[in-house]
Amino acid sequence: MSDWGWVAFAYSMVYSTLALYLASIVVRARRVRRSLDER
Amino acid sequence: MRPIEIAAAGTMLTALVAGLVVPPDAVQGDLQRIMYVHVPSAWLAYLAFAVTLIASVAHLVTKRLDWDRRAGASAEVGVVFTGLALATGMIWGKPVWGVWWTWDARLVLTAAMFFVYLAYLALRRSVDDPVIRGRRTAVFGIVAALQIPLVHFSVIWWRSLHQPPTVLRPGEPQIDPPLLFALLMAVVAFTVLYVALTRRRVDLAAAEDRLLTTGRFDEPVAGAAIAAPASKEAP
Repeated sequence: MSDWGWVAFAYSMVYSTLALYLASIVVRARRVRRSLDER
Repeated sequence: MRPIEIAAAGTMLTALVAGLVVPPDAVQGDLQRIMYVHVPSAWLAYLAFAVTLIASVAHLVTKRLDWDRRAGASAEVGVVFTGLALATGMIWGKPVWGVWWTWDARLVLTAAMFFVYLAYLALRRSVDDPVIRGRRTAVFGIVAALQIPLVHFSVIWWRSLHQPPTVLRPGEPQIDPPLLFALLMAVVAFTVLYVALTRRRVDLAAAEDRLLTTGRFDEPVAGAAIAAPASKEAP
């Protein structure tokens, strides 16, 4: 793999992981809020 | 979207561009650009676990649950950043060292820190009562923080394949100004993102505690249908 290939691999892993983590928090928060509203 | 999240998105985008357009390193060439995601991830892991330590002490002193939630939120975000530091280190290590992994003091201690804080998160999930959970995990959070200086100074205390500190070292930083600027830009961006993620996670933890507390008393539990025998009162 070229140098830029390794760089792209590292950057895509970091940025996609952080985006997915943020999305997971938002989804979990929405689910908990819905459960609280149903009570 | 909150203002801190807009700021995080803006600074992360700026850091991405800075990391890709800054001149390449004289020795490693373009591969060195991995530093702009690897080093901030490692620094943010330190910061997140240091915040867990401070919040744990504050919780033990004040007994306030919001400090416990801050400690837990920061630890979870710290585990994500530690995982990223390990992963980007491996991606950087393969083309430069020729191996994905080596049993070097810095690498082993960082991996140990990652697993210890995973255990911290597991402990949080294993206790339902917020008061008991807060006390137990605060002690864990304080003891686990002893690893932070151990990981950081491991490259100085032991002979290591990993390079010694470039910026956080005695004397002048050993890095050219444009590269230092891109690195500091990335650190600022990751720090703003850390604040945004932790705030979201603290709010989620508060909502989860509310759900747990309200759920405990109004949900049917096993054995609820069995009526307790009537008490015999003295005439």
